[in-house]
Amino acid sequence: MEEESGEELGLDRSTPKDFHFYHMDLYDSEDRLQLFPEENTRRRKEVVQAERANESTGAGDGKAQRDLQEEVEELVHLYGLEDDHELGDEFVENMPRMGVSEYPPYGMKRRDPAREQRDWRLSGEATEAEDLGFGGWGSAGQCQDLREVYRYTHGRASEEYECYVIPEEEDEEEAADVFCVTCKTPIRAFQKVFDEHKEHEVIPLNEALESAKDEIHKNMYKLEKQIIDMENFANHLEEVFITVEENFGKQEQNFESHYNEILETLAQKYEEKIQALGEKKKEKVEALYEQLVSCGENLDTCKELMETIEEMCHEEKVDFIKDAVAMADRLGKFLKTKTDVEISTQPDFEDQTLDFSDVEQLMGSINTIPAPSAPVINPQTPNSATGSSVRVCWSLYSDDTVESYQLSYRPVQDSSPGKDQAEFTMTIKETYCSVTDLVPNTQYEFWVTAHNRAGLSPSSERAVYVTAPSPPIIKTKEIRSCEEAVLICWESGNLNPVDSYTVELTQAESPEASGVTESVVGIPTCESLVQLQPGQSYVIYVRALNTGGPSTRSEPATVHTIGSYFRLNKDTCHPWLTISQDGLTILRSERSTPTKEPPPSDTHFTRCVAVMGNLIPVRGHHYWEVEVDEHLDYTVGVAFEDVPKQEDLGANCLSWCMRHTFASSRHKYEFLHNRTTPDIRITVPPKKIGILLDYENSKLSFFNVELSQHLYTFSCQPHKFVHPCFSLEKPGCLKIRNGISMPKHVTFY
Amino acid sequence: MALKQISSNKCFGGLQKVFEHDSVELNCKMKFAVYLPPKAETGKCPALYWLSGLTCTEQNFISKSGYHQAASEHGLVVIAPDTSPRGCNIKGEDESWDFGTGAGFYVDATEDPWKTNYRMYSYITEELPQLINANFPVDPQRTSIFGHSMGGHGALICALKNPGKYKSVSAFAPICNPVLCPWGKKAFSGYLGTDQSKWKAYDATHLVKSYPGSQLDILIDQGKEDQFLLDGQLLPDNFIAACTEKKIPVVFRLQEGYDHSYYFIATFITDHIRHHAKYLNA
Repeated sequence: MEEESGEELGLDRSTPKDFHFYHMDLYDSEDRLQLFPEENTRRRKEVVQAERANESTGAGDGKAQRDLQEEVEELVHLYGLEDDHELGDEFVENMPRMGVSEYPPYGMKRRDPAREQRDWRLSGEATEAEDLGFGGWGSAGQCQDLREVYRYTHGRASEEYECYVIPEEEDEEEAADVFCVTCKTPIRAFQKVFDEHKEHEVIPLNEALESAKDEIHKNMYKLEKQIIDMENFANHLEEVFITVEENFGKQEQNFESHYNEILETLAQKYEEKIQALGEKKKEKVEALYEQLVSCGENLDTCKELMETIEEMCHEEKVDFIKDAVAMADRLGKFLKTKTDVEISTQPDFEDQTLDFSDVEQLMGSINTIPAPSAPVINPQTPNSATGSSVRVCWSLYSDDTVESYQLSYRPVQDSSPGKDQAEFTMTIKETYCSVTDLVPNTQYEFWVTAHNRAGLSPSSERAVYVTAPSPPIIKTKEIRSCEEAVLICWESGNLNPVDSYTVELTQAESPEASGVTESVVGIPTCESLVQLQPGQSYVIYVRALNTGGPSTRSEPATVHTIGSYFRLNKDTCHPWLTISQDGLTILRSERSTPTKEPPPSDTHFTRCVAVMGNLIPVRGHHYWEVEVDEHLDYTVGVAFEDVPKQEDLGANCLSWCMRHTFASSRHKYEFLHNRTTPDIRITVPPKKIGILLDYENSKLSFFNVELSQHLYTFSCQPHKFVHPCFSLEKPGCLKIRNGISMPKHVTFY
Repeated sequence: MALKQISSNKCFGGLQKVFEHDSVELNCKMKFAVYLPPKAETGKCPALYWLSGLTCTEQNFISKSGYHQAASEHGLVVIAPDTSPRGCNIKGEDESWDFGTGAGFYVDATEDPWKTNYRMYSYITEELPQLINANFPVDPQRTSIFGHSMGGHGALICALKNPGKYKSVSAFAPICNPVLCPWGKKAFSGYLGTDQSKWKAYDATHLVKSYPGSQLDILIDQGKEDQFLLDGQLLPDNFIAACTEKKIPVVFRLQEGYDHSYYFIATFITDHIRHHAKYLNA
């Protein structure tokens, strides 16, 4: 072997490197690709040499050796192990050993199998070289080699040889370049010309390879699928095994208990019968004995009478007569008494019918199931409850037979654990029940037992279900809106807290959007600011939600997104002012007001006789109008919520106002902020003042609505939300108009 | 009435142009400025006339007031005529700054030698509008007028003498009651003669008293530090009192610290343009 490798090494150096040719794409493994060049070079050279040196001697041995090789290859092929190096190596290693015994020239034999493989491979190379053109022929040495190889190959062309070598060769020996479809065999291109493949259809090997690969991949995929299927099936079988085991156990137990019961019953019945029979026997025997005794007594009396008569016959006549008379009387008497010879007791026992009905019933019940196991009560399905009902569901074990269930419940009350709440129970055939007449937004504890002929199951776990809340109550008087949004507030309507609220909006009076309901969900508090489209009417509902489900809709509230809508905030109202029911008219009455000012307050005005409105906190445009009497002293404008309530409006940085005073038949108009006003004269006193609050442009404008006259514009930077404010310095009335669209002339400011 | 373009400059997307034409009313060549907003390229726009004050030409307003942006945004064609006939060779026309050239006072003179040329009222209310309507994309139904000082007076009398002709009127520091102020007395006696009853026909305060009441929204801005206010040339209080009396809507804004200059005008020009746009674009 060392000798051989030395030889190889030496030969390696002279190998023309550019003459390698492999169908690389046949091999996926990278390391194998790296392996080939070296190996192939080595082997090819080896072959050439082997051929030269041993052509004559090797022919016979080679033939035999080939047969062996063929067998091995066939085996390898048979088991699909061409790629398996371990096995392949094993065969290869086994071969020489066999060779040794039969053919002493060991080294030769050892080399032979390799040679056989290399031969066809080399000829393939030669063909390739031809195909490639004549670049490869440049070297004379190479030419010589190739010609020899060519000759060699053709000289040895044989069917057997081709068949075993070409398709089944171990990977690295590939050299065919086309594929004969007819023979399903890769062949060398020139074989197409010379061989029996002449008439056959051939395709490029790569193509054949691709399709073969595809086919194999497809099959692999199928196999994979099948493996998965079978694995699943095996798992399933395993489960079935376990189930069979379990079911067997159950059934066994079931039978045991039933048969025991029957046996016990039978034993008991036997005892009872035997005892009864014994008593009967005793009775009979006693009666017979009694009869026997009385019979004996009778016999004795007869015997005595006989004896007495006999004695009498021996007596004197006189005595005889005397005694005979007495005797005759006695005898007559005796004979008159009937001797009972009827057997009072029958030896037969009455026929006892054995009653097996209960046993039969027991026997029959063996075929039915035992008492059911405890049902499993389901947790509450979200959104399944209403305010007054819940739908309770439970399930049974599949092998239980249940005739009916008993569902029990009681309200959960942590407040009074001592007091037992009333429990309610009902019988149900189904595995669900809608329990009605419950209290909204309340937790109930439910449990269920199953029942069949065999008896009652244990109770299920207790499950807590909760009824849906009561519908909230919209505070219609506190609804504020503007063109883009509405701020809606509501009362919970429930004593216990609920999880959240949902606001539902439907556009009213809009045919194209009729019926479309938008929802705002998950509102944690009792108010919500909802974005809307301008100039529309909406019907709004609110629902309260808990895990049980949503409440029914609240009473509807209607909102118009035309202009801004607000009401006066009575909390801010100076005590001298009266707010109308609709929250839009301010009245300061004529009657003499108390001279004393009310005590200072943070919420309501105390000095300035004013009130604020609740404007929606949305940055945008807000427009409202105030109807005034032209001789009235009033102030209108906006202020922050925390404007000092004991200061006049406009007397600080937190308010912007238009103030009108009428004195000595002169109208004075001031536009006050921080106690300062521009000098503005207005010739026509407005009767209706339009106020435009524009957050976007940081402006507050005042208009004479009737004249479309712009009066003044403040540039103000409200860092927070402001609210409308109104004050009456003299008795009179201000009427607010809001929820109206902005006049066109206002849009210029 | 051939128009001769003197200049054309792009401004805020539109064009500030100056034209010259031969005025029939005034018997002389007259220049006027016209601003065509971008909107005028595609359709007719409202016309807003600006009347300048004493000594001004058509140039003062267009170069100093900074009105272009607002006019461009609101799509208004703004016309700024000269303040008097020029080069008429009338004796004494250039003698003083407050009479004659640059001081036409927007009246139709009845006295010699002025009556041939000094017909600014007719020029402003008749000839110029016809010229403008014929040559520019304006909607004659939508016209407003405003001005400064003597032009403010002119704007007020044009509006008050022609109810319904102008959709709106506004003024910066107008001469509100010329019959009672030195400027007015001098001009009116020169152009109209000594019969003061004729003067009242060109006096805003007097015109208010006979105004028939077609709605007119008047905006007046007045600088508080205006020397001519203090000198009693402008007399806005009289006008306001008359308007209050007659319920003519006026918003008079006495602007703290401002004087009579174009700085004052430039400060509030946007308010005025918007005031007119509100009516012109309604």
